[in-house]
Amino acid sequence: MKMFTIIFFSINVLQNAICLDYDGWLNIKVEHTLNCKYEEYCARGSISLKSIRTGIPVIDQINFNDGHINELKEIAKVDGIYALRTLVSTAESKDVEIISFVRAKRFLESGLSDIIRAWVLPNGEVIALSLQVANTSQPKNIEYKSSEYKLNSTFYIRHVDPAPLPDTASYIQKLEREKEAREKGELKDNRSFLAKYWMYIVPIAIFVMISGAANPEPAAQAAR
Amino acid sequence: MGVLSSNLKPSFLGLLKFLNNMNWFIVFFSLINISVCIYEDQIGKFDWRQTYVGRIKFAQFDTVSTAKKIIVATEENVLAALNLKTGQVVWRHVFETASTGNIQLLHVGEKVTTVTGSNPYLVRGWDSNTGVLIWEWSLTVQNDLTEYSQWWVQNNMLVHVLPVFGSHIEVTMYNLLTGSNRGASSMLPAIWTNERCILTAPHYTCISGPLESQLLLSIDVTSNAVKIISKPLTDYVDIQQTVSVNLRPLGGNSIIPGFVLGNDKIVFIRDNNFEKSKVQLGDKSASATVVDGANGHILVQTWMDDVTGFTLTADSVSTGKEVTDIYCSDKTLNIPKPELLAVMCTRTSREQNACRLLINAADDAVHLMQQGGRALWAREEALSRARAVEFVELPVSDTDAALESEFDQKEGSVWSAFARRLLTQYQQLQNLIRSLQGESAVQKTPSSLVRDYFNLHRIIVIVTDAGKIFGIDNLSGEILWRRYEAGLSAQSASVFTRRSARTPPHHAHLSVVATQRDTGNGFILSLNPITGELIDEGKLILNVRLLQCMMLHVPDSEKLHALVLLDEKENVLVLPSSAAPLVEDVYMYVAEKDTAKVQGYSLRFDGKGVRAQRTWAARLGGAGAARVAATATRSRLEHVRAPGRALADRSVLYKYSNPNLVLFVVERLDPLYKEEVVAVALDVVSGALAGAAAHRRARALPLAAHADNCFVYLYRSEKHRRLELATMELYEGKERWLEPGVPFSSLESNQVPIVEHQAFILPATPTAAAFTITERSLTDRHVLLGLSSGAVVELPWAYLEARRDESLPVAAPELPLPADATLNYNRTLQRVSALHAAPAGLESTSLVLVTGLDLFYTRVAPSKTFDLLKDDFDYYLITIVLSALIVATYSTKYFASRKMLKQAWK
Repeated sequence: MKMFTIIFFSINVLQNAICLDYDGWLNIKVEHTLNCKYEEYCARGSISLKSIRTGIPVIDQINFNDGHINELKEIAKVDGIYALRTLVSTAESKDVEIISFVRAKRFLESGLSDIIRAWVLPNGEVIALSLQVANTSQPKNIEYKSSEYKLNSTFYIRHVDPAPLPDTASYIQKLEREKEAREKGELKDNRSFLAKYWMYIVPIAIFVMISGAANPEPAAQAAR
Repeated sequence: MGVLSSNLKPSFLGLLKFLNNMNWFIVFFSLINISVCIYEDQIGKFDWRQTYVGRIKFAQFDTVSTAKKIIVATEENVLAALNLKTGQVVWRHVFETASTGNIQLLHVGEKVTTVTGSNPYLVRGWDSNTGVLIWEWSLTVQNDLTEYSQWWVQNNMLVHVLPVFGSHIEVTMYNLLTGSNRGASSMLPAIWTNERCILTAPHYTCISGPLESQLLLSIDVTSNAVKIISKPLTDYVDIQQTVSVNLRPLGGNSIIPGFVLGNDKIVFIRDNNFEKSKVQLGDKSASATVVDGANGHILVQTWMDDVTGFTLTADSVSTGKEVTDIYCSDKTLNIPKPELLAVMCTRTSREQNACRLLINAADDAVHLMQQGGRALWAREEALSRARAVEFVELPVSDTDAALESEFDQKEGSVWSAFARRLLTQYQQLQNLIRSLQGESAVQKTPSSLVRDYFNLHRIIVIVTDAGKIFGIDNLSGEILWRRYEAGLSAQSASVFTRRSARTPPHHAHLSVVATQRDTGNGFILSLNPITGELIDEGKLILNVRLLQCMMLHVPDSEKLHALVLLDEKENVLVLPSSAAPLVEDVYMYVAEKDTAKVQGYSLRFDGKGVRAQRTWAARLGGAGAARVAATATRSRLEHVRAPGRALADRSVLYKYSNPNLVLFVVERLDPLYKEEVVAVALDVVSGALAGAAAHRRARALPLAAHADNCFVYLYRSEKHRRLELATMELYEGKERWLEPGVPFSSLESNQVPIVEHQAFILPATPTAAAFTITERSLTDRHVLLGLSSGAVVELPWAYLEARRDESLPVAAPELPLPADATLNYNRTLQRVSALHAAPAGLESTSLVLVTGLDLFYTRVAPSKTFDLLKDDFDYYLITIVLSALIVATYSTKYFASRKMLKQAWK
């Protein structure tokens, strides 16, 4: 089992290594608007990655209490939004503000579970974060009765792929292959007999049919 | 020819004989319509081109050559010859857009001479008849302050005046044809020169000195002996006015050196002395010039004011008497801020003046007038700088409208419905009788703006940089209406058709959202696109700058779509304000061009007003320096019907058809790879990223287009030093995410689509890109590219598809641009700046307008006109064949039955 995990991770690393110039750390401060006393945003937790390449996050978040839930319910009543402000820091940049949101109603329905996707450029900078509600199999009306609720966040890194270049190499290969084939001799024709000679067969067939129609067989009269 | 002459010689009889022989040849050849290219008969059938030159900077009448022309040089760096009688372009040269193409001087003598560029300058001579370049030489001035350079031509010598402020004037003369410098530069002492100086060739005139004792100074820069005319300014202007006296030269190639001083004084320079003119300026904004008239020199002036309207006056310079035959005052003529470009007067037999006046206006129109103010022609040069374009549908005809209103009324008794029915049928009968009487021809004139069956006839509304708005008939290219708004700046204008003409009794409603020229505040113009008249709010100038504007998707009770505007203080304005309760689930985005910071807002009516709340923010270029080079949104006119595409193995690949996607092409600086282009497809409602691609060592071009699930953008690859075209397609996969019929919601989805990329080499330089749009998006999609070579090419999307079937052969990495893919065949379009497509009523057809220096309109059918019969379809043949078949059927039936009867009797 352990072996498999190692293989899995090494594959993961290899895959990401293509997209990423060099590895670095990533630290995301997560703030939200719920239960804040004076400021507009207050801390919800943080997500930190030691290595963007491996993409394994350490998520450290507060638990929601009744105050949070009540405020969230108030927002959900008017179909408002639950906004998340994230301050992204990397080795290169510090506290880049990125904001994302979900509908408060859907967030409550999902049992406070969300998916955060961070899009990372090849040089390790985050350009956008998308916050989405996880699809859960739980019933839609979850009752919030206890005093503490655990946030269930999932974090993914997505890479902005280097775009492909015009595919000159394979085209040149194709041309060379064709050239070789021509030098070796005619391309081997592996079409069927009909496909090859239909242009001769069809006129003959038509000619036969016409001549057949021109002289009706006397057999028809014999039948009478 | 030899045969003809040898046959002609013998006798007259021989000639007759020869003609007899030739006769059948002549008949034979006259039957052949000589055709040079395929589809030649279709030239101009579905398309038109209008050529423009731009706002005119210099103009001179070409009186030397036999065909009378006006040679013009424009601010768009175009040198052209206009036909004096019609105003059409005879020949035209388009120079570079950069400062190297800037025209500094136009001189028309025996040949046309221009000076272009800015250090090094290029001096060129052109043949005025053909526009052929005759000579050219370049000139580099060894001085850094060349922007104050002045040029003119005197006695076949090119004179260059370069003032060095506070010290001297450098005057250099060159041979016009060869560029050889005669006598090198001469330095004229002019310690008094300051910035209030003008050139009134050959004099250089300045106002100088301390405020109380200002001097008017003038120096003849071409004379051998330095002679300065110096007079106190108070001799000419009242002391109160001297604080900031206006000094400007006479316009329109004045034949006497002179200038306008202050508000109304005209001063000539004669015999090395200033001479006050007997005539004063009629208006302080008037444009004046001196021309040679029937009885000596005359001073021609023109201006426009509210009281008299457009005014044109002329006075004799020597006597000060008015020349009455030129005078004109017309309130109906609308020529804002007229400016005399060139005036030419000749003497008629009755000692009268026959004048031609070329007048430039603030709205970039140029008018050619006769004496007495009769307009000969006008050119709307504002159209050379179109900014925003909208195709507007025409209203249905009155009878159709009556028919529609009949079905519209839901209330009412059976009897009223019956009465209405009778009334409409009576009207239809009347129309039928009228059409039988042959009055239908009257309705077919272009003035009857009525929707046609295929909805191909439209009005194209064009908003131009000059602030002039035009309504153009798309079939003929004729300008139907024009409206000039001096304060309107169209730099970032958008046009919205808020109510189409489909909904009688309401008239069509179109709004232009632009900025005010001086303040940059919001400027909203609401007009009827069919007539060009202001309606409803009319002209609305806000006192705040706008960030973003959009049209509400739901119409109000009057079928009018409201405008939703977000200002820089993040307040929301809804027009009309009564539509505010309709604002629900509305989202907006704002992108900062210079930082690539994009923000999203949610707009919502909270009982009192509409409030904007910031919901998401992204840094598309990362933390470093970045800019948005191009954005592409899906056209409002596009409706996608097909949810997927069939693959070779008969399975369906479902498209990710999110209408809220916007493509941002961002250029950022990477410390490792220098420039990098990042293309991001962003859902602007939820702020979620759908797909992205990064191109290393590339520079973005401001060209991108988006339709359905397809994206296309262009960039310059610095590594390979070539232009490349990249495409991107988004797919859901082989299984559909949503049930059929379920509306898409950006906020509900949490899946990420599959993104396919592809890049191609483009062997041309594009300047504009767009997708064709058809009514239901069932027809193939083509990418239109405007090229710097003057062609607009059509590329089928099939060539550019990002998703490649494995079974298909490898496509060539370099895009083919075959000559027959050129939409505008041999009609070259200069400086194509934008392509606009709109769907026609026919599914197969898309209407395309190309703007730039020229306007070009055409129809394209990406999958050929499958829903339309060919033009040469033989209706008679098919009718005859059909009727013959019917006759044959019935006659054989008759004969067969007779035969059966006879057989039965046997």
